[in-house]
Amino acid sequence: MGRWIRGSASTTTRVGWNTGVVTTRLRECWSAVRYLAVGAGTSLLSIFALAGLFAVLLLCAVGVGIPALAPAIRLSRWPVAADRRRAARRLGEAIPEPYRDGSPLKDPATRRDLAWLAIHAATGLFIGSLAIGLPLGAVQQVVTAFVWPAVPGGIEASLGIMVNSWPQAGLAVLSAVAMLAATLLLMPRLARRQARTAQRLLAPAPGVVLADRVAELTATRAAALEAHGAELRRIERDLHDGTQARIAAVVLQLGIAGQLYDRDPATVRDLLVKAQDTATDALAELRTVVRSIYPPLLSERGLAGAVRALGERSPVPVTVTVEYETGRPAAVEAAAYFVVAETLANVTKHADASEVDVSLGGTTGVLRLEIRDDGRGGADETRGSGLAGIRRRAEAFDGTMSLTSPPGGPTVLRVELPCGS
Amino acid sequence: MRVVIAEDDALLREGLSLLLKTAGIEVVAAVDNAEDFLAFIEGDRPDAVVMDVRMPPTHRDEGLRAAVRAREIHPALPVLVLSAHVETSYAVELLADGVGGVGYLLKERVGKVERFLDALERVAKGGTAMDPEVIGRLMSRRRAADPLAALTAREREVLALMAEGYNNGTIAELLVVSDGAVLKHIRNIFAKLGLPSDEGGGHRRVLAVLAYLGRDAG
Repeated sequence: MGRWIRGSASTTTRVGWNTGVVTTRLRECWSAVRYLAVGAGTSLLSIFALAGLFAVLLLCAVGVGIPALAPAIRLSRWPVAADRRRAARRLGEAIPEPYRDGSPLKDPATRRDLAWLAIHAATGLFIGSLAIGLPLGAVQQVVTAFVWPAVPGGIEASLGIMVNSWPQAGLAVLSAVAMLAATLLLMPRLARRQARTAQRLLAPAPGVVLADRVAELTATRAAALEAHGAELRRIERDLHDGTQARIAAVVLQLGIAGQLYDRDPATVRDLLVKAQDTATDALAELRTVVRSIYPPLLSERGLAGAVRALGERSPVPVTVTVEYETGRPAAVEAAAYFVVAETLANVTKHADASEVDVSLGGTTGVLRLEIRDDGRGGADETRGSGLAGIRRRAEAFDGTMSLTSPPGGPTVLRVELPCGS
Repeated sequence: MRVVIAEDDALLREGLSLLLKTAGIEVVAAVDNAEDFLAFIEGDRPDAVVMDVRMPPTHRDEGLRAAVRAREIHPALPVLVLSAHVETSYAVELLADGVGGVGYLLKERVGKVERFLDALERVAKGGTAMDPEVIGRLMSRRRAADPLAALTAREREVLALMAEGYNNGTIAELLVVSDGAVLKHIRNIFAKLGLPSDEGGGHRRVLAVLAYLGRDAG
């Protein structure tokens, strides 16, 4: 073997064969053989599963097996799950479970599971036996080729070769070489094909993935519309009950002042002062409404500046880290701003923290927020805090929120908002 | 007094000009954007500047940045910034150079003409005029073991007026108490908050109070 390695560069490239390649090939082959051998086991399980399902179907035909059908299908998912895990490990790619909640009878994944069980029951055991049999057979042929003189009348080796003479022994060795070659060439391919088939059938069907995504988007869109509607109603109410009413009062006060202008200048003066005060109140309310729609600081300073200002305003010391270029869609930046504002308010109220880290980052396609405090932890989204609102805000933008808050802290909130590009 | 106005809303700009002229103040220029303002400032130093925050072309914070820039060109140039909303962080930025002559008011404060003119005059003389809303926000920031909690209601009122930039006499007038009473309150406040004794007076006193209120606010 050393000679090959020491050969000229051109030899090495032409032959492309050295100890490294050989060990890799052997290792690949060994892992493929193991995979297929275990596959023979799961193939056996598949046969049992199919037989069991068939039996239940027969019972259905006589009318007693129907209640057992759904549990039987659930039970058959067990060997299928084993193959799904094995294939995922072999391919190094995650294969998510395709099952939906509800009856397995209506689940499109059941039909694909059954297809896999049938294919694997029919082929897995055979291929697995080959994977074990071929290398063992090769060893047997070689051993036979050397020990036959010691056995009177010769030995019958595999493939019906009767080894009782040296030419026959040579034939046995040749067949051993063929078996080894077949193992080396075939097994990695078979293992790969088996894993790919499992992946194709046991992952969620492409259509199902899309359908689930559509269902999710429909739900979040409905929630976003609902939230948007509630927001519009709130703004309308604030403007109607507050600002509008006060400006109407101003108009009224000025009208009366106009009427009294000649007769009662003293009262007119009072009315003007009142009108001015009322208009000032209206402006103050308008500012509050504007802040709740789109904080002016966001327009003037961008998200980074606005978040820094939030940090400065917080009673708990806040460190703000920004690795973020401004200029994302205004709605996304406003959502991010309100998430930070709500979280800091939560921290102040509940966390008993001594410091908070806010970091703002992401790529052009996604805006990432992380807010970490050293408080007492134990934040629970289900217990009516602002956290559920933050999740809804994120989901309205097809974003995600994750929260870790073990008792004793620290609490970390992460929010990702896609920027629609 | 010679004043420059920078305000992009025509109605407000004309209104301000009229208001100042009526009060006998000379308006040497009234511009509608930050660039023209800075071009004017390069060649002339007015006694005071009245400035909007949001102006063309980007309608962001160019007024504020122009104000800071103008004070680099003419150190301690009195600037009164007007805005439709107030942000404590802007107040902190305006006061950052510590030389005084700074005002920061909501636009509608112009309506109380006398108080507005008084604020402009204070700023022109190197004093301070902070909007009550800014002070209110600074004072309502809840802190752990808040020292402001130790103040009486009256002392809090006095502190707020001090932070807005009023002198003792005006505070006494506004609260309808005697000068002596105000002096007593102020001594108590400084003692309770651990501020250096009231030696500086005027603008330095305001800065001390604002720095105290804005502490941890950057």
